[in-house]
Amino acid sequence: MDANRSHRLRAHGLKLAHLMTLFVAMSIICLPGLWIVLNSFRPTVEIMAKPPIWIPNDLNFDNYRAMFAGAGEGGVPVVTYFMNSLIISVTSTAIAILVGMAGGYAFARYRFRGKSAIFVGLMVTRAVPGVALSLPLFIVYARIGIIDTHFGMILTYVAMNVPFTIWLIDGFFRQVPKELAEAAEIDGCTRWQAFWRVEFPVARAGIASAGIFAFLTSWNEYALASQLTRSVTSKTMPVGLLDFTSEFTLNWGGMCALAVLMIIPALVLTFLVQKHLIAGLTFGGVKG
Amino acid sequence: MAEVHLEKVVKKYGELEVVHGIDLDIGHNEFVVFVGPSGCGKSTTLRMIAGLENISGGNIRIGDRVVNDLPPRARNISMVFQNYALYPHMSVRENLGFSLKIAGKDKAEIEAAVDEAAAILSLTPLLDRKPGELSGGQRQRVAMGRAIVRHPDVFLFDEPLSNLDAKLRTQMRVEIKKLHRKIKTTIIYVTHDQVEAMTLADRIVIMRNGSIEQQGTPLEVFANPVSTFVATFIGSPPMNLIDGVVKGGQVVFSDGTSLPVPPRYSAAEGQRVQYGVRADNIMPIGHALPPEEHMAELDMTVSLSEPLGTETILFGEISDTEIQAKMLNPRPVEPGETMRFQITLDKCHLFDAESGVSLRT
Amino acid sequence: MFRYKLPPWLLLLLPAIIVLAAVVMLPLLLSLYSSFTPYRLTRPDSLFKWIGTYNYEKALTDSKFWAAFGRTIVLLTIALNLEMLLGLGLALLVSKVTRGQRALRTMMMFPMMFSPVLVGFQFKFIFNDNVGLVNNALQSLGITDQVIPWLVDGKLAMFSIIFAEVWTSTSVFAILILAGLYAIPKDPLEAAKVDGCTSWQTFRHITLPFIMPFIYIAMAIRSLDVARAYDIVQIMTNGGPARRTELLWTLIGRTGYVDAKMGYANAMGYTSIFLAIFFTVYFFRKLTSARNELGMGG
Repeated sequence: MDANRSHRLRAHGLKLAHLMTLFVAMSIICLPGLWIVLNSFRPTVEIMAKPPIWIPNDLNFDNYRAMFAGAGEGGVPVVTYFMNSLIISVTSTAIAILVGMAGGYAFARYRFRGKSAIFVGLMVTRAVPGVALSLPLFIVYARIGIIDTHFGMILTYVAMNVPFTIWLIDGFFRQVPKELAEAAEIDGCTRWQAFWRVEFPVARAGIASAGIFAFLTSWNEYALASQLTRSVTSKTMPVGLLDFTSEFTLNWGGMCALAVLMIIPALVLTFLVQKHLIAGLTFGGVKG
Repeated sequence: MAEVHLEKVVKKYGELEVVHGIDLDIGHNEFVVFVGPSGCGKSTTLRMIAGLENISGGNIRIGDRVVNDLPPRARNISMVFQNYALYPHMSVRENLGFSLKIAGKDKAEIEAAVDEAAAILSLTPLLDRKPGELSGGQRQRVAMGRAIVRHPDVFLFDEPLSNLDAKLRTQMRVEIKKLHRKIKTTIIYVTHDQVEAMTLADRIVIMRNGSIEQQGTPLEVFANPVSTFVATFIGSPPMNLIDGVVKGGQVVFSDGTSLPVPPRYSAAEGQRVQYGVRADNIMPIGHALPPEEHMAELDMTVSLSEPLGTETILFGEISDTEIQAKMLNPRPVEPGETMRFQITLDKCHLFDAESGVSLRT
Repeated sequence: MFRYKLPPWLLLLLPAIIVLAAVVMLPLLLSLYSSFTPYRLTRPDSLFKWIGTYNYEKALTDSKFWAAFGRTIVLLTIALNLEMLLGLGLALLVSKVTRGQRALRTMMMFPMMFSPVLVGFQFKFIFNDNVGLVNNALQSLGITDQVIPWLVDGKLAMFSIIFAEVWTSTSVFAILILAGLYAIPKDPLEAAKVDGCTSWQTFRHITLPFIMPFIYIAMAIRSLDVARAYDIVQIMTNGGPARRTELLWTLIGRTGYVDAKMGYANAMGYTSIFLAIFFTVYFFRKLTSARNELGMGG
């Protein structure tokens, strides 16, 4: 009896501790982000107030209004940055997915010598730190005149994303049984038809999630963009964030508003594909 | 409907040769089963016929066409895969009609063909489901349906039943046999299960290490195995093989017991041999079939018995070799009981101990 | 006519290889070359003056370089291990929850979508000594009336940076480990329970070996992306105050762009590249061997 009771009490205690820890952990994860969202609706003066104002008494859309009003009042050309980010991210993602699909298919379907060495070799190119890469890229791009252009950024991001899309897509194609393509070939398809009509549709969800991963990487990248873009013609949003800072002042409210604008597409896309994304990384990695 | 001819077909992976010059002629509407242990080259051979593997040497002809370098789509074959390989993103109907759609057939024609195939395999109520919603047996039938809609020249089956449970397997075996009756097409079927091979085949082709070991009707192969490999592979329980030496018309085993050299077999004096006898041909006296012309008798102590109902399998030993014998009209047998057994010499076999080759004259 | 047909796998990999060669390998070769010259952005002709290993010697004898190098290693070691442990803990916490797991998983991915620059700004703001969230909270709650110089004091600044880095990346570990936890077959766990293992023993001998490959995947992914910490550090402290949070990457950036000493910066860049490659290859190796141990290879 007593043994049972003490076990039961202990179980209750553990459960409570478990929930408490979880709550604290989740708060730490979520609060900083929510703080940004909240601040985007507050005037900078209030954010910076000393002593602090904990309960906001002036929530408005001023920061957003100012942001979209554009460069007129010495503001930041947010809409241009947004468009730059969008053009660069979408184009580079599309190309990276095509290249990644070819590469991933090669790894998933063909056996060849030095396969794992080539694989790691491709991955290693991704590990080159952005800063270290940005120096020579800057020199090369300046020389051939594609610095501060969409094209330059797209090219860079394709290269940055290709290793990862190959990894992910390799994993997804591996989940598609080889026999499906063979069955399609026997059903009268050419290899090309078999790919587009059977293997691709089956792996489509996974490929989409690889695309979103690539999109997010381009969307959020800073180290390379900060050196390879110079002006409004190609500056992306992460670089644009710095426009809110100057030597002595910092427009927190405006920055938070831009931050929210950056996060929303990322948020939506990530939630759409989270399941496939995890599956892709783990299948590709574990079942090598 | 077509004949299939293999002429000296070779498959190499780099330096490694896995199929060594196979010759085989398969007739119109014949049901041929390739059987053998895993790695014997049976699936590779099938895949070469399908065009999924290219051939490293020799010729493959389907009908009167040499198809060596034709892609699968140009061979007019269809194939049922071990894992069914149904297209998961298409409904059953789309799965069945896929090959016709690729071939550019018009809608009405596709629909008619799909309906016909679905009717043959009783898939009609399942047509709008996705493969993910089907049971194993249903998927199996869809895979077969997909193969028959095109009316191919040759039907290829690659271990189609190995993913099903025992009961369903028996059931599908019967369905495949019936299907063959109905659609009358050349069928090449690969399996590692000798029961499937025996029950389905018009002709069994037993493969071993990339070569054909023996081919013939199921009964021929069962009655006259050319080697110990075939003898132990075909038939259940496997044939008992006892090591011995030939001395004066007798095969003498290491424990001193002996049995006469079976009729129609001959061996040199002093030759080391293996004596082959199936469980069906070694039975305890009083629980056996009526004796035939050539019989022998010996005593054996039963160490274990497996009652199966209509018969019991008895385990004993002759010269340190485990022997399985069969007992008809069974009675309970205690372990340790010594019984007298009769052996039907006409159904016994003799193999060379070295090469395993049959010594039949 | 001589015609050589490329094997299909090579043909398929070719676009990837070409892009990577053009955008990564070629510039890296250039930077390798320029690291043997006194190249300055402001003096293009200096690119053609060969000075041998001078830049490397200079870097290797530069105490600032070694301080940054050491700090980078320390940061990576602490951050990666901490992320791994916290991620494991978080994954275990979430996996034990009976209801609302989906929602928790979604929340867990929250930091992953933040641009590192944004994370930098966010924590620069939160750790601001004057109006930052942390100090405000501590003061309002009466825990301290001091102004804690989070980003000014060297040690505290390192702590703040590590905190930011861990905040962004723990979820990568948590999510992948969680995937691993879901994939563990039930049988061995139940067998262990029946065999009398305590929960710790079960975890140690069954759960942990099974999720090891997942941990290595996470490590491999992180090692590919580890230089993203540059963005965070650059924004939060930019290596300051007085170089007390200087990492290899910020040092390279400053030397290259601010001081315009490209040759020298590239020489240091190469050390950081080798560091990254070392980490990457190491974790991919680990991943392969862990995979083989569990019989998932091939």
